[in-house]
Amino acid sequence: MLGESYMRRIGVFVCHCGVNIAQNVDVDALTTYASTLDGVVVAKQYKYMCSDVGATLIKGSIKEHKLDGVVVAACSPRMHEHTFREVVNDGGVNPYQLEIVNIREQCSWIHSDRKKATEKAKFLVRSGVAKAKLLEPLQTSTLKVTPNALVIGGGIAGIQASLDLANDGFKVYLVEREPSIGGRMSQLDKTFPTLDCSSCILTPKMMEVANHQNIELFTYAEVADIEGSIGNYTVKVRKKPRYVDIDKCTGCGDCATACRLKDRIASEFDMGMGKRGAAYMPFPQAVPLKYTIDAEHCLFITRGKCGDKPACREACAQKAIDFDQKEEIVDLKVGAIVVATGYDLLNPESLYEYGYANSPDVITTLELERLISSSGPTKGEILRLSDQQEPKSVTFILCIGSRDETQCTWCCRIGCMSALKHVYLLREKLGDDVEINVCYTDIRSYGKGYEEFYRNVRGLKTNMFRGRPSEVCNMGDHQKIDVFDTTTNKLFEIKTDMVVLVPALVPRADAGDFARLLHLTLSGDGFFLEAHPKLRPMDTFVNGIFIAGCCQGPKDIQDTVSQASGAASRAATILSKEELEIDPLIAVVDEEVCTGCGICVEICPYEARILNEKTKIAEVNDALCTGCGACIAACPSNASIHRNFTKKQLLNMVDDII
Amino acid sequence: MSIVDLTSMGESQAELRKEINDRLSRLQEDVSDYCYQCAKCTSGCEAHKLLELEPHKIVALLKRGLIDEMVNSDIIWTCMSCFKCRERCPQKIAPVEILFALKNMAVASGKQIPGKYSTILQSVLSMGLIQDIQEVTMRDTKTKKRGDLDLPALSKPSDPAKFQAGLMKIAVEKL
Repeated sequence: MLGESYMRRIGVFVCHCGVNIAQNVDVDALTTYASTLDGVVVAKQYKYMCSDVGATLIKGSIKEHKLDGVVVAACSPRMHEHTFREVVNDGGVNPYQLEIVNIREQCSWIHSDRKKATEKAKFLVRSGVAKAKLLEPLQTSTLKVTPNALVIGGGIAGIQASLDLANDGFKVYLVEREPSIGGRMSQLDKTFPTLDCSSCILTPKMMEVANHQNIELFTYAEVADIEGSIGNYTVKVRKKPRYVDIDKCTGCGDCATACRLKDRIASEFDMGMGKRGAAYMPFPQAVPLKYTIDAEHCLFITRGKCGDKPACREACAQKAIDFDQKEEIVDLKVGAIVVATGYDLLNPESLYEYGYANSPDVITTLELERLISSSGPTKGEILRLSDQQEPKSVTFILCIGSRDETQCTWCCRIGCMSALKHVYLLREKLGDDVEINVCYTDIRSYGKGYEEFYRNVRGLKTNMFRGRPSEVCNMGDHQKIDVFDTTTNKLFEIKTDMVVLVPALVPRADAGDFARLLHLTLSGDGFFLEAHPKLRPMDTFVNGIFIAGCCQGPKDIQDTVSQASGAASRAATILSKEELEIDPLIAVVDEEVCTGCGICVEICPYEARILNEKTKIAEVNDALCTGCGACIAACPSNASIHRNFTKKQLLNMVDDII
Repeated sequence: MSIVDLTSMGESQAELRKEINDRLSRLQEDVSDYCYQCAKCTSGCEAHKLLELEPHKIVALLKRGLIDEMVNSDIIWTCMSCFKCRERCPQKIAPVEILFALKNMAVASGKQIPGKYSTILQSVLSMGLIQDIQEVTMRDTKTKKRGDLDLPALSKPSDPAKFQAGLMKIAVEKL
């Protein structure tokens, strides 16, 4: 070991990170100390080592002192390891003979005692140098990329990402759980702040998806399993039986008309307010324009009997109804994945005081949206659900469960604007005589054109109350709300015909299960976690999987579409390469030591290990191995080795500081 | 530097504010600094409908440190301790606990307390109840005693002195 270390010529470079490091670590003392360490031939410091000047300093020193190993004492390797690898590579040293010592996150940022922080930094640098002396030069290998993309979720985010990728020339598989793509946006009537008709701007995009030669659409389907890694994923998609042959179905609707359960099942699309049959199409602009038979309700499927013969099958002239359809699993090969699974609305029943469960006249924004929509259950008429009468007074209550430490701590980001939009639309539909009240906590109209819209709505005889009602009392023919208005400092009693609650946006109920399936991480609020909130907002911690839209956190359509295009572009950077470089910092097997026990095969979470049947020796699939280290810890005979994290290297680090 | 309320010429009492917040931190989950003045507490306040108590303002005044103004005010005695504000606050603040703290401060500084409070206090100290159990008028307008309904007689503290000492101990420990 000593023989090897004496061969090494190490350079240590200490970064001040402006004052981030320098204020809590004595960088002069650290640099002087580093220069005295065994094997170190030069130690230098600079204000910003990651800058061009810093890079030149490192490259110059490599040349001048004929360095063969570099230690950079700076920030976390997550930030700049890549930067410094490029620098040392340019300077003529193998990029894997670089060791990063983190003296920012692990010293200056977390310690207040400058003296002790400096001492700790010295220890870390010392052990870094000990490891650098033993670092081996490594070469990257490459793997071929499958130039196909998978997009999960067919809402506006999934649609936008699919179209962008398909227009870039990549094959796209779009998987949607519901019978039609369109998502939440297809349920909306108008969109703020421009009042564009939602379906008028969405339907053309849905049609484009349906007709795009590069897009293969899987509706009524779910991702069942996923294997592989960046560049080469194998995805199993479970296609639920539709009991309708979509090649034959013309979308004529004869089956829905004939269905014995016609208008007897609550329509999910109309938020339970409209009715559908067991044979149904969720909405008139559905893509694909095909019918589906709901296995949960269909008499023939649930009871084996529907009159003499299934009415839909008799009615279908195309003979498209097929009750023998079975669930089907399709294998897809893709190089990158965009996840756009959307959001749920908080069920307002969790705030019992607002009486959502007590009266049909207390509804949510999405329910009001369906009432306003001309394709909705009332054909666009605003009617109270209790008596089918037009309300004379409508009251909105914002922040239901949002910004609430007992429910959802976050702001839903769309509640204020959606309520203001509804005020505008109700004024348009119900006329000037109807009383419209808005109880808000703060109006957050932060987007482009939003404040203008808010101002316009204030001019529409809207009664704005700055205060949260404590409860909604069902008085039978009306609802009573007491609200203290902090702008007038008065407590008001509002008697109103209809209450619209604006609930918080929450992660999909199955977001946790889905995250486990894809190895994604959830943030504290339950939405999918981005790799970096500012610099990698569409990336996840799994290479090759990107997130877009409300599955990452609440956002409006504008932001969702931007993010979807961003995620598509991130996916395209992978798909556009024929080959990807594979990081060599992964596991290898010492064939002479391996006994073929197979423990590593069992323990590997990425299925990167196989036992060679002939040689009885474990092998590593370089493309799948992420370098997590599970097999190294598990191997009973020390045959599993993590490149440049070998026992010898790590023990040398420890030996040197104790 | 200072911040002065020009109506009352009151200044922020930072130390007193800290003392109250420290006490409250043992009783409520979050300190009043998190209040964003949504006034949900006042919207539902039973006492406000009767007597102008505005719990959200109490929280706001505490945030500003204008404590004397509240301690000297009669409104702190109007809270009927229904705990609705604590139950429903979206920021887990409990205006009702702030009022308890202020009431205790008022008593400690020798302020006059409303007469009914002394009566209640006496009743609690002597028999452990805020008032003696009265006969109950039934729907048929007849009055009944506990005994008529086969209910046992209420137990009273057997050793009043020990009982009172115990009560005082709880009061001191809690605040």
